[in-house]
Amino acid sequence: MDIHDGAPALSVAGLRKTYGETRAVDGVDLVVGRGEVVALLGPNGAGKSTTIDMVVGLSRPDAGEIAVSGVSPREAVRRGLVGVLPQEGALLDDVTVRETVALIASLHRTPLPVEEALSRAGVADLADRRAARLSGGQKQRVRFAMALVPGPGLLVLDEPTAAMDVAARRDFWRSMHAFAETGRTVLFSTHYLEEAEAYADRVVLMHAGRVVADGPVSAVMAEVSGRTVTATVPGARAVDLGVLPGVTAAHVRDGRAELHCADSDLALRELLARYPDARDVEVGALGLEDAFLRLTETVEVVR
Amino acid sequence: MTGYLAFEIRRTLRDARFLLFAVALPVGLYLLMADRFDDMGLPASYVMGSVAAFGAVKTALDVGARTAVERGAGWQRQLRLTPLSGVGYLLAKASVAMVVALPPVAGVALVAALVSGVRLSAGGWALAVLGVWAGTVPFALLGLLIGQFATAQNLQAYQGAVVLLLSFLGGLFIPVSTFPQTLATVAKALPSYWLAQIGHATALGQAALVLTVYALVLGAAVAARYRLDTARD
Repeated sequence: MDIHDGAPALSVAGLRKTYGETRAVDGVDLVVGRGEVVALLGPNGAGKSTTIDMVVGLSRPDAGEIAVSGVSPREAVRRGLVGVLPQEGALLDDVTVRETVALIASLHRTPLPVEEALSRAGVADLADRRAARLSGGQKQRVRFAMALVPGPGLLVLDEPTAAMDVAARRDFWRSMHAFAETGRTVLFSTHYLEEAEAYADRVVLMHAGRVVADGPVSAVMAEVSGRTVTATVPGARAVDLGVLPGVTAAHVRDGRAELHCADSDLALRELLARYPDARDVEVGALGLEDAFLRLTETVEVVR
Repeated sequence: MTGYLAFEIRRTLRDARFLLFAVALPVGLYLLMADRFDDMGLPASYVMGSVAAFGAVKTALDVGARTAVERGAGWQRQLRLTPLSGVGYLLAKASVAMVVALPPVAGVALVAALVSGVRLSAGGWALAVLGVWAGTVPFALLGLLIGQFATAQNLQAYQGAVVLLLSFLGGLFIPVSTFPQTLATVAKALPSYWLAQIGHATALGQAALVLTVYALVLGAAVAARYRLDTARD
């Protein structure tokens, strides 16, 4: 078997997929190195799931190249190089958890021991239970065990915690991290900002089928958020402040002006030059949450 | 694929209710019909052939068509994330349908021998049981095809209609010799009619030919539909 030692865990170039009139994925490029934990972040409809479906071979791109450890998605699945927790997908109600995971293991050439996959996913105590008697969160963890059991180098999780409550979510991420620490690569999609922030080394922000930011969590935050300048500016109106050089938007609330800036240094100089009375000046970064909302709003306005 | 086949067989064999029903329905029908056909001057071995064919057709179709439920639940999608090929999945399902189609045929033959005193040569029994069973292949494939078109919600309706049409029009409940001319012509176009011919040990060559053609056509249809389903994604 030709192992592609030098190849990245995942390499995607010029990926496109159109459904009818909708460009679900519109030119995505992405390289994920071995051992990275990457969050694919974006609102619903950003193209995350469509991208993931193509990466794992569930659907065919209209254009573009995908290599998983240097081979095609289908070949990677066949060799057990990629383990997948798809967003849709199910268990058979009449089959026990252990039987289900053992079946998936039996289809692969070099699987993990079934008991190891069960305990890594935290479902060892549910092993003899039939799927019909599992809660939504438990089912999801069983499906996580099914993704782990091929012993894949790359783990792809599509909105893995969507059906879970807070406690289940925390347990899930703990399991995911323990697995990642064995040297595996993880790509997960989410629209929860906290999850991307807390569990990923790197965030790939998608919107309207494109990657709009890509990098370490802090860098992406800075890139998409810019900075805010807040100050008490007597007599200033939002409309006037909004047109200052370097400012993208301005609000005035209770006498405090809040300026969203593309270039906060320039904005600050202009503010102080034109409004010498301005005081209590603060410069800060927008939270990811705000940045995310702003990004989404901006794109909706453009539409 | 053998791993998946073993899994599916284990699953089906522990569904006791399904298996019991698969055998009990044709056996019960046989016991009801044997008397009535006796009045019409038809021997119990004739009824045995017809009802065994019915049991095999219904069971094979049931197993195949239930794939619609698994598709609806996303299980097939889950399997596409494993090395199991689509062809492997379909072959395993068709094989399970064949495995489960044997008990009803054998059950009807057993009751015919024990209750009605049907006596056949060893070759005659082999034909009545193994011949009818082997002839069930096109119905297993037809079941898969129904499973590809139906949804979990409308499956029962499709499935019931197909079983009824094949059974009545194929002459499994009423002898085709009593059909009006047009209806008899329709009957002879159906695979169920030819499966019953094997059960009746008549026109064997022609029956084998017709059922083989049906199996090839239905197999191609299942494969084509599968390719279409996966290409659409």
